[in-house]
Amino acid sequence: MTTVGSLTRTQLGERLAGSGIHLRTGHFTTLLRSPIGSVADGIHLLYNDYPLREGFADFHLDLVRPVTLRRWVRPQVTLLYDGRSMFKPLPLDQAFPMFEWGLNWCVSSRANRYLIVHAAVVEKGGRAAILPAPPGSGKSTLCAALVGRGGWRLLSDELTLLRLDEGVLYPLPRPISLKNASIAVIRDYVPGSVMSRAVTDTVKGTVAHVRAPADSVARASETALPAWVVFPRFEAGSSVTAEPMPPVETFMQLAQNCFNYSLLGAEGFTALADLVERSQGYRFRYGVLDEALAFFDSLP
Amino acid sequence: MASSWRLVPGQALLHRGWDDAFVLYNDLSGDTHLLSDGAMAMLIALRDGDVTPDELAAPEVAELLATLRQLDLIEPC
Repeated sequence: MTTVGSLTRTQLGERLAGSGIHLRTGHFTTLLRSPIGSVADGIHLLYNDYPLREGFADFHLDLVRPVTLRRWVRPQVTLLYDGRSMFKPLPLDQAFPMFEWGLNWCVSSRANRYLIVHAAVVEKGGRAAILPAPPGSGKSTLCAALVGRGGWRLLSDELTLLRLDEGVLYPLPRPISLKNASIAVIRDYVPGSVMSRAVTDTVKGTVAHVRAPADSVARASETALPAWVVFPRFEAGSSVTAEPMPPVETFMQLAQNCFNYSLLGAEGFTALADLVERSQGYRFRYGVLDEALAFFDSLP
Repeated sequence: MASSWRLVPGQALLHRGWDDAFVLYNDLSGDTHLLSDGAMAMLIALRDGDVTPDELAAPEVAELLATLRQLDLIEPC
């Protein structure tokens, strides 16, 4: 199997600037093209273990510099989906984060064979913990700690994919997105982690991405069964509390965190209800990562 | 208040219940509602024709019926 790592940085850059690469992430293939050096740098650093395929691609993405007068004084990057610009251009320095956000958008708006929850999801022993949360709740920090030190497998940091006809969770292991203070927290807590250069002044503040563990990438076709739904909330200095949630509340809060629940209608309702019946929900507060990991180890 | 009610036609009452509380998918609006066991029991009774006009006219169910109507789950007939 050919992987991104089989190409040198120079070869990768040439491929991206030319015919592109067919990058396989989970069950999706993206044809990615870009002449921008920082995109090649990010792919080279963080997607080393990912397969390269040929032929069909689910998504076609180009990251290019728009041809405007501004390009000389304030260079920008535009993301093209199927050749069309779908988003406002961003400063050129944000090209690699824009790829990550763009690929998230592709999956969350197009992959409707799945109920898609805005949530991290990690697995141990075939059973998965889903961590839905709004931005700023400490979801990604907790996710990075669980897969970096806690022995959990990364299914996804951002998109939980519940297959409608099977009721199982499909992995989409990709780099973990950290923001602001979380970058230094994880750099210290998981010293061996491979992290991209921090990019400042994005709409999310300063962002950096952590490479997914190689084992999680290698096992990207192994599904998992939902077992827990943990709504995390980071509060500096607080001790761990985990309050069991009634199923109806777990259902309603999960539905609010879904990208396509309304679109899927009755099918989405049934899939979500089945997930809730198989899972125990918790309202979870933590302030210290060691204590948070101990809680996850204690899950029944 | 009407004394005869029925489910809005096309309402399949897709629901799931845990611990005396229910979630219900409204086929017509696409909304999901959180319902008590009493509300769910009323909907099922209306679907099954298992409730009499006298029971529907009782003052203690008037507020419940008004709420279910507001949610486009039932209508007078």
